[in-house]
Amino acid sequence: MKHVVFLASAGVALLGIGLSARNPLSQTAMPAPLAQAARTAFTQAPAPRAAARPAQPSSPTMVAAEQTRLVTTYCATCHSERGKAGGLSLANFDAMHAQEQRTVVEKMIRKLRAGMMPPPGAKRPEPEAIAGLTAALETRMDEFAASNPNPGWRPFQRLTRAEYTAAVRDLLDLDVDVTPYLPADTQAHGFDNIAEAQSFSPTLLDGYLRAASQVSRLAIGDRHASPTNATYRVLQTESQMGYVEGAPFGSRGGLVVTHNFPADGDYVFKAMLQHTISGELFGNTSIATAGSDELLEISLDGERATVLEVPATMSDATEQGFVIEAPAVHITAGPHKIAAAFVPRFVGPVDDLMAPIDHTLVDLRIGTGFGVTALPHLQDVVIEGPMTTTGVSDTPSRRRVFQCRPTAPGEEMPCATETIRRLALQAYRGPVGQADMADLMKFYEQGRKDGDFESGIRMAVQGILANPRFLFRVESAPANATGPYRIADIELASRLSFFIWGTVPDAELVKAATSGTLQNTATLEKQVARMLADPRAEALAMRFGAQWLRLQDVDKVRPDGVLYPQWDQSLTESMKRETELFLASLVREDRSVLDLLNADYTYVDERLGRHYGIPNVQGTAFRRVALPEGRRGVLTQGSVLMMTSVADRTSPVQRGKWIMQVMLGSPPPPPPPNVPTLDATAAAQDGKVLSVRERMEQHRSNPACMSCHRVIDPLGLALEHFDVTGQYRIKDNGVPVDANGEMYDGTALNGADGLRRALLGKKDAMLNSFTESLMTYALGRRVESFDMPTVRAINRDAAKHDYKISSLVMGIAKSQAFRMSMPGPTPATTEAAGARQ
Amino acid sequence: MLITKRHLSRRTVLKGLGVTAALPFLDAMVPASTAWAKTAAASKVRLAALEMVHGSAGSTAYGIKTNLWSPAATGRDFDLSPGSLAPLEGVKQHITIVSNTDLRQAEAFTTPEIGGDHFRASAVFLTQAHPKQTMGSDVRAGVSLDQLYAQRVGQDTPIPSMQLCIEPVDQAGGCEYNYSCVYTDSISWADAETPLPMIRDPRTVFDQLFGVGATKEERAQRRREDKSILDGLTDSVTRLKARIGAADRARLDDYLEDVREIERRIQKVEAFNSSGQERELPGAPVGVPDSYDEHVRLMFDLQALAFGSDITRVFAFKMSRDVSGRVFPSTGVTTGFHNASHHNAREDRIRDFAKINQYHVSLLPHFIEKLASMKEGDGTVLDNTLIIYGSPMGDPNVHNHRRCPLLFAGHAGGALKGGLHIKAADGTPMANTFVDVLHKLGQDDASFGDSSGRLDLNAVQDTTAAAD
Repeated sequence: MKHVVFLASAGVALLGIGLSARNPLSQTAMPAPLAQAARTAFTQAPAPRAAARPAQPSSPTMVAAEQTRLVTTYCATCHSERGKAGGLSLANFDAMHAQEQRTVVEKMIRKLRAGMMPPPGAKRPEPEAIAGLTAALETRMDEFAASNPNPGWRPFQRLTRAEYTAAVRDLLDLDVDVTPYLPADTQAHGFDNIAEAQSFSPTLLDGYLRAASQVSRLAIGDRHASPTNATYRVLQTESQMGYVEGAPFGSRGGLVVTHNFPADGDYVFKAMLQHTISGELFGNTSIATAGSDELLEISLDGERATVLEVPATMSDATEQGFVIEAPAVHITAGPHKIAAAFVPRFVGPVDDLMAPIDHTLVDLRIGTGFGVTALPHLQDVVIEGPMTTTGVSDTPSRRRVFQCRPTAPGEEMPCATETIRRLALQAYRGPVGQADMADLMKFYEQGRKDGDFESGIRMAVQGILANPRFLFRVESAPANATGPYRIADIELASRLSFFIWGTVPDAELVKAATSGTLQNTATLEKQVARMLADPRAEALAMRFGAQWLRLQDVDKVRPDGVLYPQWDQSLTESMKRETELFLASLVREDRSVLDLLNADYTYVDERLGRHYGIPNVQGTAFRRVALPEGRRGVLTQGSVLMMTSVADRTSPVQRGKWIMQVMLGSPPPPPPPNVPTLDATAAAQDGKVLSVRERMEQHRSNPACMSCHRVIDPLGLALEHFDVTGQYRIKDNGVPVDANGEMYDGTALNGADGLRRALLGKKDAMLNSFTESLMTYALGRRVESFDMPTVRAINRDAAKHDYKISSLVMGIAKSQAFRMSMPGPTPATTEAAGARQ
Repeated sequence: MLITKRHLSRRTVLKGLGVTAALPFLDAMVPASTAWAKTAAASKVRLAALEMVHGSAGSTAYGIKTNLWSPAATGRDFDLSPGSLAPLEGVKQHITIVSNTDLRQAEAFTTPEIGGDHFRASAVFLTQAHPKQTMGSDVRAGVSLDQLYAQRVGQDTPIPSMQLCIEPVDQAGGCEYNYSCVYTDSISWADAETPLPMIRDPRTVFDQLFGVGATKEERAQRRREDKSILDGLTDSVTRLKARIGAADRARLDDYLEDVREIERRIQKVEAFNSSGQERELPGAPVGVPDSYDEHVRLMFDLQALAFGSDITRVFAFKMSRDVSGRVFPSTGVTTGFHNASHHNAREDRIRDFAKINQYHVSLLPHFIEKLASMKEGDGTVLDNTLIIYGSPMGDPNVHNHRRCPLLFAGHAGGALKGGLHIKAADGTPMANTFVDVLHKLGQDDASFGDSSGRLDLNAVQDTTAAAD
């Protein structure tokens, strides 16, 4: 009972870690020889006891010997010492000693919960027996965890690109794109914030220094800014025939950007237009036919700055090429919305030979011929300057930073001290000591010496942004700690804030932490509830949800332009936005996690509505719509369907793999080496064109492939009614789509709806996958086998609240893993071979 | 002047943790499986791989006859004056010309590939591999020579390799003939499926190499700021370390090594500046210059500076883009580059096209002479550099990839003699020269791309035998 005393003294409730009375401890007390005898006896018994009992599937009353017998009978034939199927031997499995091999047991639980084992075709015990075994194994693991608490450990985290951006926004009211400075975050275990994967390198440090320098200059303004040019590009995959969100109403194509101008001064805009390979302006036929030049308007915060003519005669052979330059414009410092868009002068019904072609630049040759209405497309816009600077005007960042202004030399120091302390308090997310302030004031003085009061503040801001207190989420450890300990309140505040908001804590959270009550469960609950109600909780959708669903993978797929001329980049953007808005609605409305599968609504703009066949959606604004029959939840969202396709065909394997990995938390093993791709399979046989399904069936006729693919493929094939772009289809390659199949456990999978129902039947696996991922993201470390009891406990608790998002977030926030830590491993230093000076 | 990277010499390992060797950004171009010990001992020879598109006038039947690219004689005594290589006369002793090699991987293998040469050739030049015809995201070629080398030696320098270009690119979308634009836009491939983006803006190159700032004073100012911030970091870290666990302390020690590395780098830059060489590039470029020569020269200056200060040892430089219609006014030819390349086998138009080739070649001595003027040890930076200049096309009029323009410059640490013209046997893959390039760079690869052997770049041929 020693641990209980410890925990009580630490003031931590044992949350959800199942110490409940329904777990009969007596079973585990069976002495080993007896268990051996029981095992022998049960091996010969014809009917397992659990199977004979009526419906009590999750009853954990199966005795250890029977658990062992089930495993020996049904699993150990393949998972033998010699066979080691999946690299696992269960030959010597003994349920009595399950706690000694928790990783193996958790693996078993995972496969059993998802219904994946025993595999299709193998002999299976009665479902009740499987359920009984699973429950018994879980109980044993949960009990062991309850008496051996382990909150886990991870090295300290550093801010990800996204967290850095959000923190700068909160701190300085400045939106910056940090991708030119900070290296891309490494994804591990599905997320970008995993401490172990966050390595250090001089490149990273160099990036931090450059970011601190640039961000501080943008925030304060830089009256000595030297001219540079910034290029904004429109992707060639983007159609420019329609209206671009944010551009002046009625305009066509172009781009809209928010550019941070470093100082008041003159800036030059240059626009470059798309052209054909023969050196002619793309779209010149149409303007020549219309008889009037196309016009490109450049606007500043919605006001016309200049209008440029785009003559049909533009050509590669002239000095000017395809660049048009606008006269210099005086612009004040700070962020301004710049739009470069065409003024339509060629409006009316057209009767093209080919339509629709949304992927307008798929073949540049259509830009100069007849038959397709092609209009000029913008390639990029360059903003060059400042050519001359006249000062630095008021900006949102300056208002945020300069909350006092010295009016006499004597006021400079007090105002500087106050400003710097305020910023450092928020940036460092904790107390700012005398030494910290002394460091920052040194920077202030250095800057002040080189310039004025503002230069001093700027230099201090640079110092704050480059400081490890800002960049790293270092947590203190009690000296000589040997076991689990409670983390400091102020550090818990940071964990909560980065978990729920993806940014630094606000004043109220810091206040709760400094008053020393945050570890108090009631206060913690109150703060979590408050944070979830705050708009910043959107980060759970944008950061956690999007990464969990792998939304970033959508960008890796560009559908083949010939097969899918109706696709263009803006469709991809709309799909991503749809999923983000949908996830945000789950958080905002505190919906059930199961709505990921079940929701009968989504968000579309005109483009996506047209794509899905949802009528009466006009304009670029997204709105909530009811889904038609056949589409439900995320499984039928364009983003998910497209990211699991390849350029020219759907990939039932990738779709099946995605479902197993994301929805069931149990990814298939990687394919063996030297497997030919599906593309190597003939696309036609005996003169007959084959559908993707037919090609796959040929392809996987190899028995070595079959064992995994009979599990993976049917899941993906159930979505065959949706093409690469997520559009509904009834034929593939001219062959009627067949979306029927059987799940690995024999459940019928008829189309997307059948798949959804089959997955709901595995809801425990899906909930465990969700919570495990949420916990991975919240902790910034991989969820280990010793964490799985916590995951299950959170889900058991959440069941009482219909699996609402808040109940799962709350469960994690209150878990030991989140509120506690323990000493990390002892480091050892090695000298690498070939060391040099 | 050698700047070593700390994680070669000393690495803190956290026991019991599956620490992923995750390297960010530029570092990530190097696979985690690189044998560190091996690379640490590797040479410090620099490699600059320059690509020009559209082949040459000298690859046509008429051009071969009239020596518009390759000189008539092989061996050491050859005359450059008749053709496009004439501007290299002054740096002849540093040049190794290899004529008559083919780039068969750039040819069409299947019917749909016919005609798509412009949109596939650039991806072949440094990979010597046949690109997969696709407009989608499933692109595939091979690892490029520069990346293969960077993956082995790049970690010895602050920046493993850099990729530069001149013409604007579009990393997304289709080009023509069902080829993704990445095949046209990049010559560097980190592996068969990963083309690397190329930087067009000299300012970006400059900032990445030397730090931010338009003037010497501004850069000095920023360096001063960075230095004081780095000074302060050590104290901050010491305070942090007092209250954290041992493993996290070790992690902060790793970070402190980076702090010292950046401090060392700043010192190197300052030492380099006080050596007087920086005056050759007084201000950071604003951005992309309007004129082609100015842009190319600026890119050469940046490469020379980076080589001289050992900030990186590998550059890939794409000097044009297929089907570019740029007019080069100083050539006197008013036809655009691509149209001029389709000379219809007319002698006058082939001669016009040769003028464009000559103009491009005339930009090289600036780079070669600059490297030759930079002292290093007993010799010059050029002695420790190997430059490849070539094109993945032969006769552009018919889009063939035979008898492609190819030459080498520099001495690869003494391994490459120079002052030589080698005529390869008919049908020799260009890749055979790259196998020898790898040897001259201290690597022991037996093959590269579609190589069928190794062509020794120091082989002095019997003039009469080779001339037939």
